[in-house]
Amino acid sequence: MAEIVAGFGVPHTPMFPEQVAREGPQSETAQLYRAVAEHLDAVQPDALVVFDSDHLNTFFFNNLPTFCVGAAACTEGPNDTNARIPHYVVPVAEELARGVYHAGPAHGFDLAVSQEFQVDHSVLVPLHFLTPRMQVPIVPVFINGVAPPLPQARRCYALGQLVRQVVESWPAEQRVAVLASGSFSLEVAGPRVGITDGDWMRTVLRHLGRAETRALLEQATTERMLAAGNVSGELLNWIALLGVIGRRRPVFLEPQMSHGHAYGVWRWD
Amino acid sequence: MSVYEVDKICWRAQHDPPFREQLRQDPARALADLPLTPEEREALLAGNVARLYQLGAHPYLLGHLSRYGLFGLTRENYGRQMKALLDTPAEQARARLAGRPVGAAEGARAGSAS
Repeated sequence: MAEIVAGFGVPHTPMFPEQVAREGPQSETAQLYRAVAEHLDAVQPDALVVFDSDHLNTFFFNNLPTFCVGAAACTEGPNDTNARIPHYVVPVAEELARGVYHAGPAHGFDLAVSQEFQVDHSVLVPLHFLTPRMQVPIVPVFINGVAPPLPQARRCYALGQLVRQVVESWPAEQRVAVLASGSFSLEVAGPRVGITDGDWMRTVLRHLGRAETRALLEQATTERMLAAGNVSGELLNWIALLGVIGRRRPVFLEPQMSHGHAYGVWRWD
Repeated sequence: MSVYEVDKICWRAQHDPPFREQLRQDPARALADLPLTPEEREALLAGNVARLYQLGAHPYLLGHLSRYGLFGLTRENYGRQMKALLDTPAEQARARLAGRPVGAAEGARAGSAS
């Protein structure tokens, strides 16, 4: 049987690759990503479920899913020009991805699927830092965190629970980890650029650190998240991660407060 | 909603380099055959992103316009327009939900420090 072995949460700030290349491995950002990468390497996952909010690069309003599973042999990108990273081809754990997609109806989920897609910096900046050889096949699960109406937090948590059930009933012996990409308080190209909501940061960090999942689900309304910045719906990716791993405290949770994001690791081996 | 056409122009500015080049060379001509309302057309050609934002265009997409210097936009004048919206009722309502309400003046300082 397959098992969920770990969870990871990281930001995907587009300027980080260039900044880290310039400032070197001892920079704060390099060290934070490396700390997460070392945990990922130690866990040796066979597949990585990636909860991601596309920034209107992969999807557009002509066809915008709330939840979409990427099920192809591989993907590539970035399909946007925000981050200075190489063009990457990334293997997809296609069978597992299809398994997640097909499990939807029995679990009360009407999932969309994409069998041909590219990914933007929000998927590739994390992988650039964590798995630069792109050696771990991913299962991309796109959650609309950017264009209201957003799915509710408890719905995203339930999506995570669906993923766990699929993995735990998967016949192959696979070690599956989960990655959440995104920030808690960030505004892009809007009025609140540069403003970080410290109160929301502290609230989210406290609930994550103490595994106070119910409190987090109650407080992470669309209105509250987006008041912290128009990218703050990315918290839904972390909430989906919590649905997969269950009520556990992280072994590592370090914020970069001025950036409005954090790095997290959940392990129990 | 017609703002879809505005969003689409912005999306194409990022993902459609030939179209981006047309927008650069002759913006009025590039927009001529597109189904925009007069208000949208005027706002785009004037680089009035604040108005477009208020009409409902998505900020991630509007941001592409200033990144490529389209419609006379620069990062600076784009940022200034957006900051000025902090004093509008809609943004004030949003700010009241956030940890600490921020007005336009403080927002401008925060934005320039980032």
